[in-house]
Amino acid sequence: MVMRMLIRAEFEKTDELRYISHLELMTFFRRAFRRAKLPLVYSKGFNPHILFSMAQPLKVGMTGWKEYFDLTLSQEMDIGEFIDRTNRELPSGIRINKAASIPEKSQALMATINTAAYIFRMTFRNDQEAEEELLNSFLAREEILVRRERVKKGDIEIDIRPMIQQAVILEPGKWLFQVDSSSERNLRPEEISKALVDFHSDLEFIPLNRIVREGLYVRVGDELYSPLDEKIVGR
Amino acid sequence: MNLADRLEKILYKVKNPVRYIGNEWNMVKKDWAEDKIKVALAFPDLYEIGMSHLGLKLLYHILNEEEDIICERTYAPWVDMENLMREEGIPLFSLENKKAISDFDIFGFTLQYEMSYTNITNMLDLAGLPLYSKDRDESYPLVVGGGSIVYNPEPIAAFFDLFFIGEAEEGIVSLVKKYRELKDKKLNKEEILLELSQIPGVYVPSLYDVVYDNKGRFKGIKPKYKGVKEEIRRQVVSNLDQAYYPTKIIMPYMDVVHDRAVIEIARGCTRGCRFCAAGISYRPVRERSKETIIRLADEILQNTGYDEISLTSLSTMDYSDVADLVKTMARRYEDDKISISLPSLRVDRFSVNLAREVQRVRKTGLTFAPEAGTQRLRDVINKGVQEVDLFDAVQAAFEEGWSTIKLYFMIGLPTETMDDIAGIVDLAKRVLRIGEEVRRNTTRPMKKIQVNVSVSTFVPKAFTPFQWVGMDSREEIEKKQKFLKENLTERGLSFSWNNPDLSLLEGVFSRGDRRLARVIESAWRKGARFDGWGEFFDIDIWEAAFIENQLEQSDYIQARDLEEDLPWDHINVGVSKKFLQKEYKTALAGKLTEDCRQVGCTGCAICFDLDVKMELYRGDANVN
Repeated sequence: MVMRMLIRAEFEKTDELRYISHLELMTFFRRAFRRAKLPLVYSKGFNPHILFSMAQPLKVGMTGWKEYFDLTLSQEMDIGEFIDRTNRELPSGIRINKAASIPEKSQALMATINTAAYIFRMTFRNDQEAEEELLNSFLAREEILVRRERVKKGDIEIDIRPMIQQAVILEPGKWLFQVDSSSERNLRPEEISKALVDFHSDLEFIPLNRIVREGLYVRVGDELYSPLDEKIVGR
Repeated sequence: MNLADRLEKILYKVKNPVRYIGNEWNMVKKDWAEDKIKVALAFPDLYEIGMSHLGLKLLYHILNEEEDIICERTYAPWVDMENLMREEGIPLFSLENKKAISDFDIFGFTLQYEMSYTNITNMLDLAGLPLYSKDRDESYPLVVGGGSIVYNPEPIAAFFDLFFIGEAEEGIVSLVKKYRELKDKKLNKEEILLELSQIPGVYVPSLYDVVYDNKGRFKGIKPKYKGVKEEIRRQVVSNLDQAYYPTKIIMPYMDVVHDRAVIEIARGCTRGCRFCAAGISYRPVRERSKETIIRLADEILQNTGYDEISLTSLSTMDYSDVADLVKTMARRYEDDKISISLPSLRVDRFSVNLAREVQRVRKTGLTFAPEAGTQRLRDVINKGVQEVDLFDAVQAAFEEGWSTIKLYFMIGLPTETMDDIAGIVDLAKRVLRIGEEVRRNTTRPMKKIQVNVSVSTFVPKAFTPFQWVGMDSREEIEKKQKFLKENLTERGLSFSWNNPDLSLLEGVFSRGDRRLARVIESAWRKGARFDGWGEFFDIDIWEAAFIENQLEQSDYIQARDLEEDLPWDHINVGVSKKFLQKEYKTALAGKLTEDCRQVGCTGCAICFDLDVKMELYRGDANVN
C-alpha cells in the first residue's frame, strides 16, 4: 500500500501576477511542481495529468491574499520542505504561506468553500462615520437589484442583498464585503461595484485591480473557518 | 509617476494584460545600472507569436549571459493597448524593467515575415523614434534588424541603421560591445555606422546607393565610399553541436503558439524544394549530436517543468538516425510523463509510424504537405514526393487511428495549369477514400474521416530558384480558388485558402526595393497594423498608399529577367546565383535535382562560399 498524501496550501497572488488567468495559473503551478521534483501523482489514461485542484477562480486583475489549492503526492513529505521547495520555483507575486496535510477523504475546495471576503479600495473618501452611514443605508435596503451578465444565457436581473453576509468599513476608503461564494450562490465583486455606483452619485465604479480578495472561507453557522482549519478538513 | 504605475492604470482595461507584464519564469531582470549596455529586442507581432519564436529567445539569453549587457524584450501591443498607451502618453516599454525603449542603446528587431512591416513603423513611433534612420542621430538607440527575411531587407532598409545578415549567435555580442565602445568615444552616428559596417555580416543601408542606368533601369546597390564592402556575406555558425543553446528558457504564462520545450536538433535542409526560402538560406545542414541533444533536453526539462518536448528543424525526419534519437528520448522521459513531439512530418509511412510510437498526446490530426496536385508539378518544384508515398503515409495514419488529415498545397506555381488544380481535388478525394476504406474495415471505434485541404498562394522569394517567376494575377488566383471551392464540396472534405490580396502584397515586399519604405509609411499612417491578421488587413489602405507614392504593385509581382540586376544581389547568402539560375531552368524542364546528402554535391556553392561544411551526426557528408 503506497502512502499518499493530500496537501492543502494557502497562497497569495499579488502585483503583476494578478493579471494571469485561472487556467494560466494552473498550468504554471503544474510546471512549478515538476521543477520542484515533488512526488506527483498522475491520473490514469492516455493523457495523464497531475492530481491537483484549485478553489474558486480569482478574476484577472484582482489581488488574492488567501487562495487555495489541493495537491496529491505519492509519498509523505515534510510540510515545511514542501513549502520551501515549491516557493523556490515561484516568481515574485505568488507565494505559498501555509500548508497542511489533510485526510484524503476531505471534501474538494470548490465544494467546501462558501464565503469570500473582498476589500474595495474606494476613490470616495470621507471620515469613518460618514462612510459608515452611507454603507448602512446601502445595506438597509430590502433588495439590491443588479444586472447579472451571462455569456450564453443572456443577462438577468438579480437581488444581491441576500448574498451579502456582512459589510464593514475597515478604515476610511477601505470597505470590506463578506459575501456568498459557492457553486450555488456566488456574488461577483464587480456586481457589488455596480450596485454601489447605482446607489450613490459620490461612489465611483471600482475596477477589479482595486479590489482584493482578502480570503476564502468556510462558513458554518455564524462562524468563519479557514479551509485549512482542523474543524473543516476531513469533513 | 514611473512607467509601471502608469501601466497599472490601463492594464485592467485591455484584453490579455498578461501580454504586457513580463515577470515570466526564467526571465532575466538585471539591475538597471548606468554603465551597462542596454539592448531591447523586439518582435513585431503579438507577444504570444513572438514568445514562440526560438531565434529571439536564443539572442535574449546569449546577450544576458554577458555581465555588462542588459537585454530586455518588447512586442507589438494589440490595438486596444496601443490606443490606451497613446491616450496616456505611455511609450513602448520593455517587459523586464518597464523602461522606455528610448532609454536603450540598441533597439533590435527580429524579422520573420513581410506582413509585419507596419508593426515595425508603429513600434518605432510608439517608442518615440523618428521612422527613418536618416532622421535619427546618435542620441537615439541604434535600430538593428536581423532574422530570416533580411535576405531582402530593401523595402525596410530606410528605417534601419543596420542589418545583421545571417545567424547572429556568434556575432551579436561583439557587435553590441563594439557599438558601445564607439559611442563612448563620442563619435557621431555616421562615424559609428562606418566603423560597424566593417564587421562581417553587418549591412548599413545608408552607406550604399541605389544605381540606375541612363534608361532608369535598376543596376544594383553599390557602396557610397571606398572601403565599404561591396557584398555582405551571410554569417553561419560552423559547429552547431558546440554552439550555445539556452536551457533556462523563458516561459510565458499565456498559452502561446508553441508552448513546450524546444530543441533545435539540426539547422538547414538539403531537400532543395525550389519555392522554399528557408531551404536555401539556412544551408548547409548541421546536426547536433544525440549526446548533446539529450543533455540539453535534460536541462531544459529540469529548468522549465514542461511536459512536452519538440525536436525541431526544417525537416526533423531527415536527422541522421532519427528513429534511434526519438525512441531513446521517449524511453528516457517515460516515467516523467513527458511526450515527444515531431513537427513537420515527412510524407511517408516511416514518419507516421515513428510519430505514432512516441507521441503520447494524440493530436487530432496529422498534416502532410504534397504542395502540388500532380507529379509533373511536384517535379517542377523539386518536392521529391511520389503519389504512392502520400497514399502510404495516410493509410498508415488512418490505421493508427488518426481520423483527420490536413493536406497542404500551393497554387500559382510556375508552369501550373488547371490540370494541376484538378489534381489537388483528385488527391484529396483519394485520401478520403483510403480513410473511409480503413474505417469500414476496422473493428475499433473511429471518428468520421475528415480531409482538410489548405491551399495557399505561392509567393516567389528572394534567393530561391523561383525568384524570377511572375506571380499569378488576382483574377487567376481567384479562378483557381473558385474551382477548388466548387470541387471540394463532398462530405468529409473541407477547403481553406488565403486572401489573394494579402498574398500579392507579400509578393510585392518579398522582392521589393527601397522605394517601398514610403508605401509602408503611408499605409501605416492610414492605420495599417497587424496586416498578417485577417481582421485588420485592409487592401484599400494599401492601394491608396501605392497610388500616393506613384508605384504599381504589378511592377513588383511580374516575372524578372534571368540576367537582370536584383535589389538583393549585394547580399551573399552563400548559394550562388548561377546555381539558382540553373535550378530555375531545370525546374522549367520538369527535372529533379537530388539531395546532396544522398547523391553528393549538386553545386550550390554554399560550402565554398561561406567556408562551412555539412555536419552530419555519425554520417558521411557526401561532399565531393
